[in-house]
Amino acid sequence: MTLFWQVLINGILSGGLYACAAIGFSVIWGVMNLINLAHGSMIILGAYITYMTTSTFGIDPFLTLPVSGCALFILGFLIQKYLINHVIGGSIFMTLILTFGLDLLLINAYLLIFSADLCAITPWYAGLGWEWGNVKIPYTRVGAFVFAIGLTLLLSLFMNRTKLGNAIRATSFDKDAASLAGVDVFKVYAITFGIGAGMAGMAGTLMSVIYSFSPVTGEIFTMKAFVIVVLGGLGSMPGAIVGGIILGLAENFASVLLSPGYKDAVSFFLLVIILVLRPRGILGKRFYAEVRD
Amino acid sequence: MRNVRKVRRIRSKIYSWVCICCAPLILLSISSTLKAEDIVRFGASLSLTGRMATEGRLVKDGYDFYVKHINQRGGIPIKGKPYKVEIVYYDDESDPKTATRLVEKLIVEDHIQYLLGPYSSSATFPASSVAEKYRVPMVEAHGSATTIFERGYQYVFATLNTVDQYTGGILNMAAGLKDPPKTIALINENALFPQLAMDGGEQHAKKLGINVVYKEKYPSGTKDLSSMLAVVREKNPDILLAGGYTADMILLVKQAKEMGVKPKMFGLMLGPTLPGFVNSLGKDAEYLLEPIQWSANMAWKDDVFGWTASDFARIFEKDFGYAPDYHPPQSAAALLVYHHALQKVGLADPQTVRNAIADTDIMTFYGPIKFNEKGMNIGKSMAVIQLQNGKPVVVYPENSAQGKLVYPIPYPH
Repeated sequence: MTLFWQVLINGILSGGLYACAAIGFSVIWGVMNLINLAHGSMIILGAYITYMTTSTFGIDPFLTLPVSGCALFILGFLIQKYLINHVIGGSIFMTLILTFGLDLLLINAYLLIFSADLCAITPWYAGLGWEWGNVKIPYTRVGAFVFAIGLTLLLSLFMNRTKLGNAIRATSFDKDAASLAGVDVFKVYAITFGIGAGMAGMAGTLMSVIYSFSPVTGEIFTMKAFVIVVLGGLGSMPGAIVGGIILGLAENFASVLLSPGYKDAVSFFLLVIILVLRPRGILGKRFYAEVRD
Repeated sequence: MRNVRKVRRIRSKIYSWVCICCAPLILLSISSTLKAEDIVRFGASLSLTGRMATEGRLVKDGYDFYVKHINQRGGIPIKGKPYKVEIVYYDDESDPKTATRLVEKLIVEDHIQYLLGPYSSSATFPASSVAEKYRVPMVEAHGSATTIFERGYQYVFATLNTVDQYTGGILNMAAGLKDPPKTIALINENALFPQLAMDGGEQHAKKLGINVVYKEKYPSGTKDLSSMLAVVREKNPDILLAGGYTADMILLVKQAKEMGVKPKMFGLMLGPTLPGFVNSLGKDAEYLLEPIQWSANMAWKDDVFGWTASDFARIFEKDFGYAPDYHPPQSAAALLVYHHALQKVGLADPQTVRNAIADTDIMTFYGPIKFNEKGMNIGKSMAVIQLQNGKPVVVYPENSAQGKLVYPIPYPH
């Protein structure tokens, strides 16, 4: 029974982080119909920013969240404004190729700057945690979970309650109508990409406390983001949380009940089931998920 | 029209100059072939560029180290006459297919009769097939996959310990303890090298009477091992051995601590001695074990140069400007195998030399070398290091230990 609770908690905790890693990807895809293949590399950049800041100034990794968030927001804003906005009206393959190229560029830049050596951040409380019977709940994972869910909810509030958020949502529903209503579509796109990148950066910070990373580990996060977004529903904030936690639980239970070797098979099997039974995703709404041309 | 003629005239002039300049070169090369009987030529295809270039260069430096020092002493004395040593190198760009082609070129075009190995198991595996086909001996130093030696080949020999022996040092050390561990858990990434290492570990543990309570593999690229480790905690093994590449090993050590896995002995197939590992984990890396092929303080001394392992490290660092890990001595040892075999039978045909190599029983600065009928080195075994205060300390075998094994691991540390 201890094992059951332990696996349940492990699943939920990693699910929260998955949700945070996927939300930026989801927003960018939902609003602009743009699949950002460089998303994983942006997460890694956030992790490196945290690594550099903590090793230089000795501050707690969780305190670097604003640093990585702001840095990635600015980078994302500029990338959208000066690169992607030029091709966004064209075929979806153009944006795919562009973000794929961007991914390669980022990875090779990290290799030059940070070298291929692995990094990990080990704060003093790493490995410590609460004990509930024989169930261990590590502080770092709980911290990452709380921040991840908190940031996702904040973003959700921002989208629903602010004027800018409404403008972003309006653009995602109908670009032309939003434009007629006085929304500067390209500026909204740049801000949206900035937000997506900023969320990726902060997810990177949270990830760096738990996992080890190197310039090439981003790819796995892009894959997971894909699965989560399809599971939860495109562009939906609660969908990302639900999708992330389902993925986390599926992986963890699969690795105990079947064999650790099957955990990826189980999560992708889940993806196929959802695509067959509910192609919009669990919490997806119709207008978000439709691929516009 | 006139211009064309002018160009032609200039061109023919250039050709004649080229011919005049090349003549001495051709003469030189003829004279060098005339002198060829005083030279022993070896051939190797190495990954000098591409993704394994770093390791490939370490191997080349190891080969060159032997060449430099044996030639300084006049060469290999064979039947009373010294022979200088020369190695023909090709760059296979870290591609096994290219390596295979180049080994064939070495045999067919360059008439090399004594081959050295390329870098990595994946290149050695196909390249050794070519050596076998032409019945030319290949003494390799960097193909550790057991599968290379399971094909019944007669012409392939390795100076290093193969991957199935990786866990041997740790488990033998464990069995020799006063209060020996009774249970073991083995986990590995689902990839060739870690899988073979842990399969070897399972067999070895059973032989020593250690009970295998858990053995599972996880997919490559995993980001979360916590639930796997929760199961390991339930099994409460005395020894935890894990095989995988560095990223996973850092994750594993972190999450083992988080999940409260507390083995008395904790070993990884690689990681602790690689750059960045201790920095990333800090105190959590303490007391981890890793099997190693060689270290500079091994109590071994060769009879060609009269150097111990530490002499090798010192002189190598003077020559090449960096402290050697196991790659260079492992490579140089391959040439020492030839050195002894050639001294015994002379510059004989490849088959005779092959037989002399099969009878090898020598001591080198890299350790003892003796081949079994498959061509694997059974003379030496893996040593074991333990991280103590962030530094690797050799704890096994006892005759070359730098420190005492900390067992059982004290928690918390």
